[in-house]
Amino acid sequence: MVERKKVVVVACAGMDKPLGSVTRASVFKVVEDLRPNNVELVCLPPLLAGVGSYSELISNLPVITVDGCAERCATKLIVKNSGKIRGRIFVPDSTKKHNLLPESASCLGLNGEKLAEIIAGEIASIVDRLIQGYDRIG
Amino acid sequence: MALIKEKVGIVSCSGEEIPEGTISRIATRLVLEKLRPYETVTICLPLFLAGGEGERTFAKLFPTITLDGCEKRCAEIGTSKYSGKPFATIVITDILKQCPVVNLKSRDEPSVDEFKFAEKVAKEIAKKVDEALGRQEDTNQK
Repeated sequence: MVERKKVVVVACAGMDKPLGSVTRASVFKVVEDLRPNNVELVCLPPLLAGVGSYSELISNLPVITVDGCAERCATKLIVKNSGKIRGRIFVPDSTKKHNLLPESASCLGLNGEKLAEIIAGEIASIVDRLIQGYDRIG
Repeated sequence: MALIKEKVGIVSCSGEEIPEGTISRIATRLVLEKLRPYETVTICLPLFLAGGEGERTFAKLFPTITLDGCEKRCAEIGTSKYSGKPFATIVITDILKQCPVVNLKSRDEPSVDEFKFAEKVAKEIAKKVDEALGRQEDTNQK
């Protein structure tokens, strides 16, 4: 049985690009600081490698995907696994919108940290909207 | 198929669920940026698993070292499934058993001890890189 009033967040967290590190940092801020009681963080590799049991979660709870590059692995793979995507963040758009770039994959720097905070806030807003949707449905 | 022994691909778990995923990520970056920058590349695991042809072809042609944070061994299983047997496999929890005093807690902000542990893991990876390239000892840069 899946717990209600929860939202799944899936981040690409790609190793090879700085924006992958931004996705990772932003979802941690949501899960650990901003909305710890309302978010289930789903790790992408086990889902893809078929070694985790996340299919129930992503098919029963609304999913927010956070992608770090144009490959959009998180979004593609949630779609492929029949997940219900209800919110999407594309980090390259956020860098342009806020004119903030991380220093590197291993060190986000001040701008990268700021970008991660902004994105975390955006994710939290989507979480709130989705939770309100639960309330409306009852 | 013969492997090209010029570069080694590090396929690292980037798991967000547990601190071991963070350690694997830090250790991999240490190898790529400090210990063996000229000999290693990283293969993006989500893209690799999602069907990235470039990633999969590279992993077929070059030796790979998989680094997994936990016993699910996503990197090892994925690499074996889509590109072939890795040259070496490392699991953080196995190394952790040798260091009972290390207590991994943070996924987001590793402590000094956690970072030191990541350095230890990075050295293990670097050793495997040397083996994959047929080197007996570290004849390379720092």
